[in-house]
Amino acid sequence: MPLINLPAFAGDLLADFERLKTLRVDTPVIQPAEPFLDMAGEDLRRRIFMTESETGESLCLRPEFTIPVCLRHIETATGTPQRYAYLGEVFRQRREGSSEFYQAGIEDLGDADTAGADARAIGDAMQVLANRLPGQRLKVTLGDQSVFEAVIAACGLPGGWQKRLIHAFGDQKQLQRLLGELADPKASGVFGPEVERLAKMGVLDDEERLVAHLAETMEATGYSTNVSRSPRDIARRLKEKMELATTRLDKAALAVMREFLAFDLPLSEAPAALHAFAKKSKLKIDGALSFFDARVAALAEAGADPDLIRYRAAFGRPLDYYTGLVFEIGIEGAPAVLAGGGRFDRLLTLLGAREHIPAVGFSLWLDRIERAIAAAGGAK
Amino acid sequence: MTITIALPSKGRMKDDASAIFERAGMRIVAVGNDRSYRGRVEGWDDVEVAFLSASEISREVGSGAVDFGVTGEDLVREGIADADARVEFAARLGFGHADVVVAVPEVWYDVDTMADLGDVAADFRASHGRRLAIATKYWRLTQQFFSGSHGIQLYRIVESLGATEGAPASGSADIIVDITSTGSTLKANHLKILSDGVILRSEACLVRARMAAHEGNPTIDRIISSVRAAL
Repeated sequence: MPLINLPAFAGDLLADFERLKTLRVDTPVIQPAEPFLDMAGEDLRRRIFMTESETGESLCLRPEFTIPVCLRHIETATGTPQRYAYLGEVFRQRREGSSEFYQAGIEDLGDADTAGADARAIGDAMQVLANRLPGQRLKVTLGDQSVFEAVIAACGLPGGWQKRLIHAFGDQKQLQRLLGELADPKASGVFGPEVERLAKMGVLDDEERLVAHLAETMEATGYSTNVSRSPRDIARRLKEKMELATTRLDKAALAVMREFLAFDLPLSEAPAALHAFAKKSKLKIDGALSFFDARVAALAEAGADPDLIRYRAAFGRPLDYYTGLVFEIGIEGAPAVLAGGGRFDRLLTLLGAREHIPAVGFSLWLDRIERAIAAAGGAK
Repeated sequence: MTITIALPSKGRMKDDASAIFERAGMRIVAVGNDRSYRGRVEGWDDVEVAFLSASEISREVGSGAVDFGVTGEDLVREGIADADARVEFAARLGFGHADVVVAVPEVWYDVDTMADLGDVAADFRASHGRRLAIATKYWRLTQQFFSGSHGIQLYRIVESLGATEGAPASGSADIIVDITSTGSTLKANHLKILSDGVILRSEACLVRARMAAHEGNPTIDRIISSVRAAL
């Protein structure tokens, strides 16, 4: 069937991808639904189109390309770094716009030079957008979860709180709520009566005794100790929770965190500002900052115009497989996001890869780009 | 225009609903014999009654196939997307009380709030190789509560159409979202409700489909005010 709704610039875009020395891949439109739901969570279920095979397997119409491309990489080419390009239709229920639309993008899997690969992903995305929208000023927003992780670790928060904050990174509302909780000495954890009883018996201070008690209780109540959370899991988390409940962040540390999260400045000024911030606040975050610097240098080397890029410290995605860089590209003065990307070093292992495979990529919203081209043409 | 009211076709719900309508001056009589699934209201010629199962009632009111229905709020909110825009909860009827709750094994001493559960869910994949599994028949309510109200994304729903309370002990799920009225089944299965884990306090409601044709229809207003006066 001829794809008559394919954007007019699709051919030029594919030519760009070829010049960028990527391997063009296609994936079946009908995909097993499990990996998508597993990675993105149940919330996705309402937005994808699901069906079932005759044997009861959950299937869906491809909602995006990253997961299928990664699964294909794991099956066929693990170990060899490879840059893939794709262009095709995806299917998602959206508040506005059609629920079938085109996406294209590049996934760069397995390149150990992460600063260089990050810079190349941003540079490539800027390049292909600039080619579609000549004369338009692009606007790139860049965030980096690894800097945030380094800052909260350096603030000396216990592990449980670090995990909570990292998990909320990118979700402004949730993050602010957690910071509020950390600052408010009135808020404390809720503990059941059983925990109080155990505390009086002194069982809580001794992990082995607590584990034994939990195992006995599970045995007695008919709960198998090996299919869900084990007695050891529960004992450890209980300890972590008691730490969570008693941790208060002093005003100074909270101010440091809020100051960090408020950073929103041109990328060219970000390295100096972050170093000055770390020095002033006495935070040891040298590792994360030197990587940040390396990426800024690599971006300059890749020829990306630094004046178009802003660093926003609070910018992230609340999905657990994003680990470092995230970025978005639009046109100056317009709200539409035309390209989005980031580093997802954890995804391939979650999808079943045996070894660690670093990964970075971006995708382009072709329908929005088409509208942006039309708007630019109309304005002339 | 004939107004159709859908009522539960059997059990306590049917009797309780009939009793309220009787007190409201709307005595319901079956058309034909007692087993008939059609009825009428004595003295209300422009009203007819359809006896349906409780979950069908929420669907029919949601699609506007009937004008009114008596059914549990849980079924309406679970069965209809954006329920408040499509139906009006015209009266809460004071029977069929039950709460939709999040319950976890009692032995999870470290989990008493949704925030605790969020921590556990975030870590689950790393330590168990799979997401936290929730057994429930309430897909929509679970998603709204976990994702919308508590920012918890990382879990999987395992559909359970009966004996949901047994799922954690049998190992087919880690926790449950289910309906409970006295809590005794939860207790018997060694489950506890999280302190902020009540998703919905449900009861039987008179639910009206929001339809343009209802505007200014005196029978619609009369039905609602009669039922409200009987409570």
